[in-house]
Amino acid sequence: MLQTLIPLFVDALASAALIFFVAVGLTLVFSVLRVLNVAHGSFYSIGAYAAASLGLWIVSAGLPDWLTFPALVLSAAFVALLFGPLVENTLVRWTYGKSDAVQVLVTFGLFLILEDLQKMVFGVQSLYQDTPMSMLGITELGGIVYLNYQLLLIVLAGVVLVALRLFIGHSRTGRLIAAVVADREVSQALGIDTNRMYTIAFTLGVFLAALGGAMATPTSGVSPGLGADTMVLAFAVAAIGGLGQVEGAAIASLIVAVAKVLAIYFAPEFDAVAPYVVMLAVLLVKPYGLFGSPTTRRI
Amino acid sequence: MRLTSITGTALAAAMVLSTTLSGTSLASAEEKPESLNVGVFTFMSGPAAAYGMPGRQGAEIMIEQINAAGGIGGVPIKASFVDEAQGAQGVISEYRRLAEAPDTDFMIAALSSGNCLALAPIADQMKMPTVGWNCDTHQLFKDGAHPYFFRPNGNTVAEFMSYVLYFLDKNPNVRRVAIINPDYSFGHDAAEIVKATLAALNPGVKVVAELYPKLGASSYQTEISRLSAARPDVIFSNLWGGDLENFVRQANPRGLFRQSQAVFALGESSMQNVEMPQGAIVGVLGDGWWRSPDAAKRGAPAFGAAYKAKFGQDPVFPAMKMANSFVVMKAAYEKAIAKNGGEWPSKDQVRDALEGLSIDTLTGHVTIRPDHDGIVDQIVGTVTKVDGIDAPVLGSMVRYSGDKVLPPAGDDPVAWISSLTPYFPKDMPKPGSYR
Repeated sequence: MLQTLIPLFVDALASAALIFFVAVGLTLVFSVLRVLNVAHGSFYSIGAYAAASLGLWIVSAGLPDWLTFPALVLSAAFVALLFGPLVENTLVRWTYGKSDAVQVLVTFGLFLILEDLQKMVFGVQSLYQDTPMSMLGITELGGIVYLNYQLLLIVLAGVVLVALRLFIGHSRTGRLIAAVVADREVSQALGIDTNRMYTIAFTLGVFLAALGGAMATPTSGVSPGLGADTMVLAFAVAAIGGLGQVEGAAIASLIVAVAKVLAIYFAPEFDAVAPYVVMLAVLLVKPYGLFGSPTTRRI
Repeated sequence: MRLTSITGTALAAAMVLSTTLSGTSLASAEEKPESLNVGVFTFMSGPAAAYGMPGRQGAEIMIEQINAAGGIGGVPIKASFVDEAQGAQGVISEYRRLAEAPDTDFMIAALSSGNCLALAPIADQMKMPTVGWNCDTHQLFKDGAHPYFFRPNGNTVAEFMSYVLYFLDKNPNVRRVAIINPDYSFGHDAAEIVKATLAALNPGVKVVAELYPKLGASSYQTEISRLSAARPDVIFSNLWGGDLENFVRQANPRGLFRQSQAVFALGESSMQNVEMPQGAIVGVLGDGWWRSPDAAKRGAPAFGAAYKAKFGQDPVFPAMKMANSFVVMKAAYEKAIAKNGGEWPSKDQVRDALEGLSIDTLTGHVTIRPDHDGIVDQIVGTVTKVDGIDAPVLGSMVRYSGDKVLPPAGDDPVAWISSLTPYFPKDMPKPGSYR
């Protein structure tokens, strides 16, 4: 029994960790900007391409292999700083106050542009960069060999969750963002630069998506189409957890990962649909997700 | 008055006869075009490009070589390449667009089994002679004939039966088999054939896991855990292109192939891109191993040298399959031209020439059966390194005769496999017998 449960548990946690990075970014952006950003998945894939490219350059330049670790985070930060303020200040800001349909269409248009842009910049062939994974070695758990890098991802997801909660609850910028989320008009009346808060929140969301993509590269390939797959899964997670709920995204990531892992272990034919069956079941019972509500506005 | 009436009738008859004759003349003697325009469909982007691009590159080399030798009947080949990564709807639209263009003469389409199933009825509808250069699915001609669609490369039944014959012969004590195939017709068809062959030849073997990850999946970590937990003796996979490379890259460090014998049905196509486990059973879905003894006697070495000079790598079997499709097209045109008294043939005459075509290819021989499936041999071997060659090669090879492993035309493939007995392999050549 334990021989089956341990791999299930480890696989679910490792899978949930990667989903969490993207889903929490999506839900953060929604909770602050009230914009459902369809282009969010593109930032995941751009982060993956940037990390793989930088890692490949480090290796080919003969630089120390350990540099490929900071390269993962630096790539995500670079993508966030490049795209976050630019996209929020131009396209996304233009959609504030407009209908949901306009917001979805604009961000979907951006998604299509970014997908083609990736092909132009990074080419259409798959990229592989697994130096960080190779450096960390392996561990045997329950008779199954796991990569230590997978275990690192689980720890990192926990660190990001705690850091995000501390940032929002205990930093000045985080509290200002929370105030804007609670009531934009009152925040403006109190002198809070709401536009700046929007830019910061959007950039942080882009960073989390890009970080997810970057952290995924050592254990997977990067190729065109990665963004679309990730985006759909992130939406399912955000819907299950309740749009705008940070802890909800974490728990929903775990639920989705458990559903996927159980399907792969016991009913592989349902692997692709398992997350969406769970989403459907949750939304039928709780239309605003497990932790969402129609009135509450908080993160 | 009567004379006038007779004269008028005679004139009308002469005009009708003249029109009829000139119409006949037009049908049998087309004007020789400036170029022979061919639509070539393959994956040129995304994970599948790792398999599809060698196909395109193989086409480029063949076009260069054929044109350098004067073209076909003095007409140079001109190709329009279409990327199958755009999805079935896009592929169908592109096929229709090309087929409707008055100057398109021939199609070599496609790579994906799904796309071939979609295109075959359209080829019939548009009366466009089409050669499926890859499209392995045995479903293609299962439910009826496609007069304008030909597949000179054999089908999944022969391909995947050969792997089972090989690994059962090499590991007679196999009891537990796991399958990991892509989640579409090619993967599910292969699993059905592998399971049917195992049930017929060695009923004691149990399939302990069957996984179907999405085509283009980037991570296989959970699948690798599941396969490890199942403890199979053999892991069979027809993952291909970037998917196969991803899977091998992720499974290697987790020791999966130290625990189980790997069988990668399309493994030869990725041997130069990813470190395949030594001893893994791989093959070429047909006879397209360019270094095989038979290929060495034909045009493969010259093709391989030109390919390496242009692209910096040895050709892999998708390149050979594509090259052999061009060989088939050229042979069909030459047969049709000869039958037409040296005049340029119509599309229907080219189609007719494809019927029953039996020719040497760059790697062996192909005979087109009445159901339009090609009979080709099947080569299987193991990943081996030899001194003097940088890239891995196939060792312990076997060459199964195509007519022994292809179900008779018209038979239900799975029913035919199920009719085999455990004595069937006794007459088959042994691993290592093809040197």
